[in-house]
Amino acid sequence: MSLELIRDILVATVPLLLIFPTLFAFTTWLERKALARIQNRIGPNKVGVPLTRYGGRFSLFGLGQPMADGIKMLFKENIVPRDADRLFHLLAPILALIPAMLVLCFLPIDFPWINNIQDSVKAFMLDGAVIFFFAITGLNTLAVFMAGWASRNKYSLLGGMRAIAQMVSYEIPLVLSAVIVVMMVGSLNAAEIANAQAGWNWFVFTPWGLAAFIIFFIAALAETNRSPFDLPEAESEIIAGYFTEYSGFKFALFFLGEYIAMFAISGLAVTLFLGGGAGPGVAALPWLSVIWFLVKIFALIAVMIWLRGTLPRLRVDQLMGFAWKFLLPLSILNIFIAGSALHLLAGDRLADLDEKQPILRQLMEGANPLVVAGLWIGALLILYVAANGLNQLSRAKVRPREYKYAE
Amino acid sequence: MSLLGGGIFKGMAVTLRNFVGSYFYKDRLTTNDYSWRPTDKLPQHAGEYPKEEGEQLRDATTVTNYSRNFPMLLHDGSEPMDTIRCVACQICERECPPQCIYIEKSTEKKENAGGKPQFYPAKFDIDVSVCMSCQICVEVCPFDAIVMNSQFELSTPDRFGGLLLRRDDLLKSNDYYHNIHPEEAAARDKRIAEEKAAKEAKKKAAAEAARKKAEEKAKADAEASEGTPDIQEDAE
Repeated sequence: MSLELIRDILVATVPLLLIFPTLFAFTTWLERKALARIQNRIGPNKVGVPLTRYGGRFSLFGLGQPMADGIKMLFKENIVPRDADRLFHLLAPILALIPAMLVLCFLPIDFPWINNIQDSVKAFMLDGAVIFFFAITGLNTLAVFMAGWASRNKYSLLGGMRAIAQMVSYEIPLVLSAVIVVMMVGSLNAAEIANAQAGWNWFVFTPWGLAAFIIFFIAALAETNRSPFDLPEAESEIIAGYFTEYSGFKFALFFLGEYIAMFAISGLAVTLFLGGGAGPGVAALPWLSVIWFLVKIFALIAVMIWLRGTLPRLRVDQLMGFAWKFLLPLSILNIFIAGSALHLLAGDRLADLDEKQPILRQLMEGANPLVVAGLWIGALLILYVAANGLNQLSRAKVRPREYKYAE
Repeated sequence: MSLLGGGIFKGMAVTLRNFVGSYFYKDRLTTNDYSWRPTDKLPQHAGEYPKEEGEQLRDATTVTNYSRNFPMLLHDGSEPMDTIRCVACQICERECPPQCIYIEKSTEKKENAGGKPQFYPAKFDIDVSVCMSCQICVEVCPFDAIVMNSQFELSTPDRFGGLLLRRDDLLKSNDYYHNIHPEEAAARDKRIAEEKAAKEAKKKAAAEAARKKAEEKAKADAEASEGTPDIQEDAE
């Protein structure tokens, strides 16, 4: 391994390892503040600049809180249950963090320093980047069940089992909705997918892209165990789920891994549907694309926090029913609609298409605007009606409760 | 048919309203914010939190009129033990679900605010580390002697003694009660006054009835004494 290669690897990875944990700290603060405000509380507002009196003289809206939390976590006792499997108990939080950190490499963020390094180090230039992303994210399931099993605690095991069922179920609509984008681009390369949406050609503005984005976002919430799909760690039911028996820095690692996974999956949603780094002013100032990418990630995370403050937790049967009876048929139908629409747009030009160029853009050039408008409206209508029908069909057949004594 | 997923957006609108509203309307914020306190008055240790009566009320938005924490004992006048309402009947002690009240009845009677000689609690302890703030003692008290306080600054370095509130800690004036729970206190006073009035009216009515009865009896007696000769006459 040459020295240059090592340098390039460090240049490609170290900034990610610095930027995203910093953003994680900021996000925990943001989440606590936002949830507090949603519940008409104030949220953390005391800890500010350290070494001023109580850190409170310059409190800066409590921005020092994440640091205080981190220090607290570091100094806490590491408790391992007597009958726990010590090795796997130790490995689980590490295994939860590593895949989350790894997939950050697959996000096509154009950091200014990324252009100077070899292409072989850029993970998002990999021809199967999207597949790799899902493959590595899938490892997280293993870590969660490992934690649940190794703790030798009924709540941990219940949480782990719930997590397996949930993550495996929602992985399918997640991948199937990403297929739509692959169909429109004709490539699994993350950078090419992002480039195909330059300007305002974001895939979320196509009907099948919009449906796929919504399905993807819902499935992403479930994949990262976010409310309303936080059954694996449901506090009010099974204490803390799979990390019931974790304390100190191991707990912090789980926490970190969860948030990094949120960033990663939001970043993938941005890459696939929201145009990557595309945005106003990018043509003139290329470094703006980094800002736009992070802004879009944070917009998605803000919606996640907002949803967490709004929605109550689902029941287990509702959760599984929603994945298998609603999201899965809808995403398969969506693929069918997208395929038909692309075929109709192509007409007899199918043979002339250039494999190296994004498919949708080639099809849109020279297409009849009336046909396009008809396709858009028709696809939206079909998807909406199908979603409504599936909603009626997939609901659990439960009569409204009759109250004997209340009311 | 409503819009698919419309309920989610409705809910999100509600939380958004709360989120934005909490920045503009201070009365939305129900939690206590110490940032109004000058820096040199910030609490140094848990035990040094200000405990003066009414201190927590300085910021009117911090404690609402409806917050309840632990019970307190009411008295009506300036001398707590002369006007204590509690007569040590021990109903609350028996009803308390977590059994956190301990009462010792006095041996001799003493005049209370009503001017009647009554027993009084020689000891009245509430262990607030056990109390679950259920307010059942308030519900069962026939003398309106125990009500809920909203004082919450009870942290103490003494885990056992500091959390055991004695009779003299629990005694609070009716004015204080009016200060912290105005609506409830007014309603309670009104009810007490009404009950008192009804009692007096009943007493009066009873006295009136007794008087009437006596009159009637007297009349009947008089009639009887007048009529007796007639009967006797008839009989003859």
